[in-house]
Amino acid sequence: MEAVSPTSSDPEAGNLFNTRIIARRRLSSKTVELALRKPPGFAFAPGQRVRLKLGPAARDYSIASAPADEAIRLCIREVEGGFLSPQLAGAPESAALTFTGPHGYFTFKASPRPAVFVATGTGVAPFHSMAASGVSGFTLLHGVEQAEDLYYLDFLQSRAAAYVACLSGTSPAPVAHHAGRVTGYIENHLPRRACDFYLCGRQDMIRDVTLLIDEGFQGSLVYSEAFY
Amino acid sequence: MKIYTGSGDRGKTSLFSGERVPKDNERIEAYGDLDELNSVIGALIAALPRDWPDLHQDLQKIQSDLFHIGAWLATSPGAPAAESLAPLDLDGAAALERLIDRLDAALPPLTGFILPGGGPPAAWAHVARTVCRRAERRVVRLSADPLPPASAAQLSRAIVYLNRLSDCLFVLARHINRRQGIEDSLWKP
Repeated sequence: MEAVSPTSSDPEAGNLFNTRIIARRRLSSKTVELALRKPPGFAFAPGQRVRLKLGPAARDYSIASAPADEAIRLCIREVEGGFLSPQLAGAPESAALTFTGPHGYFTFKASPRPAVFVATGTGVAPFHSMAASGVSGFTLLHGVEQAEDLYYLDFLQSRAAAYVACLSGTSPAPVAHHAGRVTGYIENHLPRRACDFYLCGRQDMIRDVTLLIDEGFQGSLVYSEAFY
Repeated sequence: MKIYTGSGDRGKTSLFSGERVPKDNERIEAYGDLDELNSVIGALIAALPRDWPDLHQDLQKIQSDLFHIGAWLATSPGAPAAESLAPLDLDGAAALERLIDRLDAALPPLTGFILPGGGPPAAWAHVARTVCRRAERRVVRLSADPLPPASAAQLSRAIVYLNRLSDCLFVLARHINRRQGIEDSLWKP
């Protein structure tokens, strides 16, 4: 995911690391997964981000892999007209990159309340990292336009108590799904009770879901990570 | 990047620990005052002569400390999110004491109440001092509730820090005025 940079309130400046691309895998027609060599001394918690730097540009990406994995895996959605994401998606294997990190506090917190993960697009990356690190039993709502963007579907289904693909487009889906946006599912189908919500994705989704939580899910906690 | 999200349009906001609370919640009030204090210190820095790097550096360290305290104020006592926060530095207040002693050493003894003011940077220091006292009162109010020991310890450190910072800002105002050749204006009852 390509996240908003933290504000100056982020107390962690993060260390600078050098790395290389060691593998690339296409996740959909517009999204690739880059595997980066994990530099010695780099450690992170599932849900955290790295800030990739390329020339004058820097963008934050949530790590999709687990801390124990050998590589750092990132989901890169090619943003049309973007500066960094097309270069990253097209970068050759072995290309050198620098990044700072880890950044952010979007980490899983153990709780007696059920966890509900809500993602749009590549916002599913931090939830993949959490699941690959042993978190299970959560409800995951993954909102995408096209079914091809249901990244990591099999793995996430295997770890979730409930996995709901929310398709706002009209493409045929490989799984049972909710036709519409994640907000529609939450409003009409998600049982009303206190939950720990983790929201990662577009700012408008985070706003709309947060307002729904305020209205119908009293006593819930909301952790969010917005990107654009 | 858009700065606005709209998720607070109905009068609620999120604590760092995840709770959705009204924007007049006592924790929001507390870290809001800290944010105001930080901004006033920013105005003070902006008003300082550019060739005073010592004070620029000291004040930016204080701004950073205030962000750290703000993160604790935005976290409910005992919340799991507290585990991702570094404890408040016990040396923070001690560092302020060292700064106070350094600045105060060259000042004439106080002989009465001083009228807040002087040159622009000193006047900002006085404004910061009073906002600091308000922030301190808010944090004291938060600490009056029964708290888990770990949270109580952090609030205690915050209170000590803010108490010392207020004193520091008073001495700083006098130091700046003196360095700029402006004499204290004593209150004449």
